[in-house]
Amino acid sequence: MNLFRSEEHIERWLAGREPGATISVSKLSELAHTWWDDRLSPSWVPHARDQNQAILDSLGLAGVFWRLPS
Amino acid sequence: MDARDLEVRRTTYRRFVELGRAPRSDELGDRTEVRASWRRLHDEHALVLDPAGELLMANPFSAVPTPYRVEADGRSWYGNCAWDAIGICAALHADGRIATSCHDCGETIDLRIENGRPDDDGLLFHCLVPAAHWWDDIVFT
Repeated sequence: MNLFRSEEHIERWLAGREPGATISVSKLSELAHTWWDDRLSPSWVPHARDQNQAILDSLGLAGVFWRLPS
Repeated sequence: MDARDLEVRRTTYRRFVELGRAPRSDELGDRTEVRASWRRLHDEHALVLDPAGELLMANPFSAVPTPYRVEADGRSWYGNCAWDAIGICAALHADGRIATSCHDCGETIDLRIENGRPDDDGLLFHCLVPAAHWWDDIVFT
């Protein structure tokens, strides 16, 4: 889960391995702010699997790659 | 994970933020009880322990230095990955600055997060492991 300068840099780093998923850092920031927003809240309780999946879905992170385990 | 474990978790996170580093189990109360709570929290993926039973991750915070140094709210921490580094700003509800580098070429990246938005949208985030397998090996993920 790392940052890269460009698609070319990702391809070079993969060195022939099967790629995962690439998103812009703006989309990552949306994801991070939605995912971690409540982490320091005194009323925090663990996210249910469906709650986390709903976060991914709401950001358009769909498909098998972004499907959490049941 | 019961109410007592959640209280240990709250205290763990609060001290992590206050100290700018991971608290040791003996800094939070009775060492044996704290470590037993941490183990249950670890098993529920609420935090991650190292083989010795001390904190490795209180996600998004890392207990050990990583390539993702985060400055926010006048202090600094390490994130476990790029997602977590921005997540530290999100959890603190603060602007921040992430000092890292391109994972391929090593060129320095100085990313600022202001009002929830990064100042350089040319950067890309690559996630190698599918979501179904993130917790198979969370350190590798």
